[in-house]
Amino acid sequence: MLRIDELRKRYGEKVALDGVSLTVRPGEMFGFVGANGAGKTTTMRIVMGVLQPDGGEVRWQDRPLDFATRRRFGYMPEERGLYAKMRVREQLEYFGRLHGMSPDRARRSADDLIERLGLTERRDTEVERLSLGNQQRVQLAVALVHEPEMLILDEPFSGLDPIAVDALAEVLLERTAAGVPVVFSSHQLELVERLCDSVGIIAGGRMVATGTVAELRARERHKRLRVVLSEAEPGWADRLPGTIVAKDGDEVILEPDDDQAVLLEAMRLGRVEQFGWVEPKLSEIFREAVA
Amino acid sequence: MNELGPVWLTTRREILVRGRSRAFIIGLAVTVLLVVAAVALPRLMGGGGDRYVVGLAGAQSDRLAAVLGAQAEAAEDTELTVVSYPDEAAARAGIESGEVEAAVVDNARLIVAESPGANLRTMLDTAHRIVATEERLRSAGLDPGAVQQAMQVEPLAQVSLSGTSEEEAGTRRMLAMAVVILLFLLIIQACTMVAMGVVEEKGSRIVEILLATIRPAQLLAGKVIGLGVLGLLQIAAIAVAAYAAAQVGGLLPELPEDTPGVLALSVGWFLLGYAFYAVLFAAIASLVSRQEELQSVLTPATLLLMASYFVAIYAVMEPAGTVARVLSIVPPFSAMVMPVRASGGEVPMWETGLAFGLMLLAVLLVLWLGGRVYERAVLRTGARVRIAEVLRAG
Ligand SMILES: Nc1ncnc2c1ncn2[C@@H]1O[C@H](COP(=O)(O)OP(=O)(O)OP(=O)(O)O)[C@@H](O)[C@H]1O
Ligand SMILES: [Mg+2]
Repeated sequence: MLRIDELRKRYGEKVALDGVSLTVRPGEMFGFVGANGAGKTTTMRIVMGVLQPDGGEVRWQDRPLDFATRRRFGYMPEERGLYAKMRVREQLEYFGRLHGMSPDRARRSADDLIERLGLTERRDTEVERLSLGNQQRVQLAVALVHEPEMLILDEPFSGLDPIAVDALAEVLLERTAAGVPVVFSSHQLELVERLCDSVGIIAGGRMVATGTVAELRARERHKRLRVVLSEAEPGWADRLPGTIVAKDGDEVILEPDDDQAVLLEAMRLGRVEQFGWVEPKLSEIFREAVA
Repeated sequence: MNELGPVWLTTRREILVRGRSRAFIIGLAVTVLLVVAAVALPRLMGGGGDRYVVGLAGAQSDRLAAVLGAQAEAAEDTELTVVSYPDEAAARAGIESGEVEAAVVDNARLIVAESPGANLRTMLDTAHRIVATEERLRSAGLDPGAVQQAMQVEPLAQVSLSGTSEEEAGTRRMLAMAVVILLFLLIIQACTMVAMGVVEEKGSRIVEILLATIRPAQLLAGKVIGLGVLGLLQIAAIAVAAYAAAQVGGLLPELPEDTPGVLALSVGWFLLGYAFYAVLFAAIASLVSRQEELQSVLTPATLLLMASYFVAIYAVMEPAGTVARVLSIVPPFSAMVMPVRASGGEVPMWETGLAFGLMLLAVLLVLWLGGRVYERAVLRTGARVRIAEVLRAG
């Protein structure tokens, strides 16, 4: 289990992290979302030890995270970095061995990832000659090659085509199924919603919401009503007691003052075809949280 | 994995990846070609030295042939072939057909197509005089064996007041010059590669992954050692090529006896000088994130290296001067000046020892300071990091 506790970091006058705390349980896929400049990368770099926090602590299995333990983590930095002149397989093997794998194991693991991530044809190509998306796949493979105990991935899905997204998602789900916690940041909220067990929303260096997707939804659940009427006079929607969010023909979405009052009024205005709470999308929860 | 595992892995990576890069291979090939050309060119330009074909006919031909042969043997770069003719007419025919360029008949007449070169003329005259003198002494009744022995005179032995012969001093200067140029080229080349490697890793942020896995000192050590090994390989390749070219060209001068010692010492100095400048260059390179900025931040360090080089060249000309003596002990100048003095002749043991000790201290200091700078600066990407800031922090 990874526990991040009250991390603080400032760059000169600028406060980047203002007490960030979050927990990732074994086998959990944790989606880390937030606006540009919110502090995701800063948090992840501190976890990986490439940045020193001004305050707070990162704990792993209830002990302060140290260098030796961190070596067993897999990390994909926000700004991609690979040796341009090294070939794909050679590069993966190198990183595997740097993490302490035997030459044999490093090679097997490299070959396995190369196949899984669809790089077989490119195995002996120098990285600088790969397309950006393929370089991205190699970058992911570098983070995964040493069979890490924990994965910290900064925007791993950006720049990937749908096939590569699926391939990566499959690999990550497989790792979580094996009990490896995964934290990844992303701006692709549908993807986060689809893949993640938990989500953390950060804004201005503070966590504004954390929990499972269901929990976050529950917080926002009873906010918006969807009403569909037939046989109603034009302009009926404006008579409903609440603030209209969207309107489309027979359908209206609104934030009610009192949901039961809306139902009574709707029945008076016409024939109620549909009436119910709108399931909020993660993007809506996100907008709400960071607003 | 133990502490040295990552060092070995990064060393190996540097050697493999750099060693197979086109820049390295082409660079090495060009250097080797240049060295071979420099060594072999004088010979090629001179058309492989002088070659003469001379005809002999009539009396005293056998003796002339022997004396001419001995002369050609004694002179370097001269090859002389003798063709014997039964009589003068045959010799004249030989000249006309171009078989020989000149012919001596009866050790009295020199027949030529056109006037021969000064070298050939001198050789023929000398041989003529020796053989004619022998003949007269013999006809005066002296024992032929004794005459021949009496005529064998060693050339003038040259004694130079400075203790070494002029020729040896020249050879030593050449050796020293070769050592300086090679040291300078290799150090600046290898250190530039170290600096570029550091920026490559910092600029591409691969250093974030690396330093989440291994220590900065391990990464730096691997890079410096790996590129140092490549540098040594280059020295070896160049030395072998130069030696082979000189052998084939046949113009390897008599090297002073202590040459192997001097060369071994130079390798030692290369290692110290390289360690010093490589870590210095690496620390400075870690301050910037882009290759374009590298040139300007490296300028002071490059100037220091250039200054060492010029002092060393100066020391080649005047190995016993005060400047050379003092700077051959002061680090980091000593790394290039001391090998010059060593190849120029005797250096007191204590001076060599002192220079070595001081340079070692300087290397340790740079390792300590440079290591700190590198460790702190290499993860601070973006704007150029100020060195004072890095040293103060933490
Ligand atoms: N090296 C730095 N120097 C100064 N300020 C920095 C530095 N790195 C980050 N910051 C600031 O810290 C804040 C958090 O940045 P961070 O990179 O963590 O955001 P992020 O959530 O990863 O954003 P994005 O979604 O754009 O990647 C930002 O306001 C940024 O300007
Ligand atoms: Mg970021």
